[in-house]
Amino acid sequence: MSEVSFPGVRIRGVAAAVPDQVRTLADDAKVFGEDEVRKVSESAGVKQRHISSILCASDLCFAAAERLLAESDCPAEDVDALVFISQTSDYILPATSCCLQERLGLSKDCATFDVNLGCSGHVYGLWVVSSLIASGAARRALVLSGDTIHRMCSPEDRSVALLFGDAGTATLLERCEDTVPSHFVLGTDGSGQDHLKVGAGGCRTPWTPAALQRVECEGGNKRGAGDLYMNGAEVFSFTLRAVPPLVKKVLGGAGKVIGDVDGFVFHQANKFMLEHLGKRLKVPKDKLILSLENFGNTSSASIPLAMVTELGDRLRSEELDLVLAGFGVGFSWAAASLRCGDMTVPELVLVPVP
Amino acid sequence: MKKKDFLLLIEDVLEVDEGSLNGTEALEDLEMWDSLAVVTFIALVDEHLEMSISPEKISAAKSVSDLLALTGDKLND
Repeated sequence: MSEVSFPGVRIRGVAAAVPDQVRTLADDAKVFGEDEVRKVSESAGVKQRHISSILCASDLCFAAAERLLAESDCPAEDVDALVFISQTSDYILPATSCCLQERLGLSKDCATFDVNLGCSGHVYGLWVVSSLIASGAARRALVLSGDTIHRMCSPEDRSVALLFGDAGTATLLERCEDTVPSHFVLGTDGSGQDHLKVGAGGCRTPWTPAALQRVECEGGNKRGAGDLYMNGAEVFSFTLRAVPPLVKKVLGGAGKVIGDVDGFVFHQANKFMLEHLGKRLKVPKDKLILSLENFGNTSSASIPLAMVTELGDRLRSEELDLVLAGFGVGFSWAAASLRCGDMTVPELVLVPVP
Repeated sequence: MKKKDFLLLIEDVLEVDEGSLNGTEALEDLEMWDSLAVVTFIALVDEHLEMSISPEKISAAKSVSDLLALTGDKLND
């Protein structure tokens, strides 16, 4: 397991953006029937999702970053590095981070790159950027985490079609001598690679008409190799194995116990799963942060989105001890124990769907 | 945990009447036994018996008693 503490880095602000278009349970019921939709919704905890088939993850991240830079009075030329975390990039190449550098008007001296990770991605992004700042490679850097996973779901596959929403986020980190060090723990188990997967569209299995053909799978769900496949039971089983030790390890490394933490912001995968993990870890109910109800699972964006919508008021006015933990596709996981607050948190940005 | 108490939990998951399962039921005949029920079963075993059962083994189970057998010696009569 990779474990490290970073002194001298603070989060200056966090912002999130979603499409202004909402898909409700009533819309879903037209496809899958009311009973099925109610059952899935009661378990997963999703009551609506912001989605668009036009806006890209980068459009949402751009809107969040533009607002964050403006409200935190950070001139675009002061950003030394930008990392775009997503599994729904604009193109195969170039890296979307290059497009975002130009669009945000960042300096040409700014280092940018993409990281292809989902559920664990945002915490990986904070780890990478904290490392850059702690080493002196950058003084101020943006982590832009966003995804539009629902576009990769077959509309005829109820194991995924009711869960995912779109969101893009921006987190601005900077050098600050006077901070409590943040603590990170990260890991990977690639033996779980087939349990959450879009198999076609990359170099190993290019998109062909045959790969795109949707066929009937388990439980009458229809999907092709170009659609997202999720084995929910395997993913759940993985989180039960991985997450409790991950959270205990990051708290141990930071010298804290559950009771010291003001909020646990886990990747917003599924309410049933998060509540079960909360129970296992003995996290008090009011400290387990949930934002699935209005947004669904937004992949790499879910942790910063929940910080904005569920903790925004507090983060603007006080400092909180938070534990962030992302886990899933890969399998990949990462957790951070950090103190943050008194920072810029713009209201959630609603991006008009063209 | 007693076997009959665990059956009560499974009855709750499957939304069937209390005491209606005796263990011989075929899972494919139980309407509510689906992917969500599998996940709930994994959670129940984790919470009450503190053990993890692989989803692969659960998919191989044909009957309610096969599910009970997966808990090994964690259940008593």
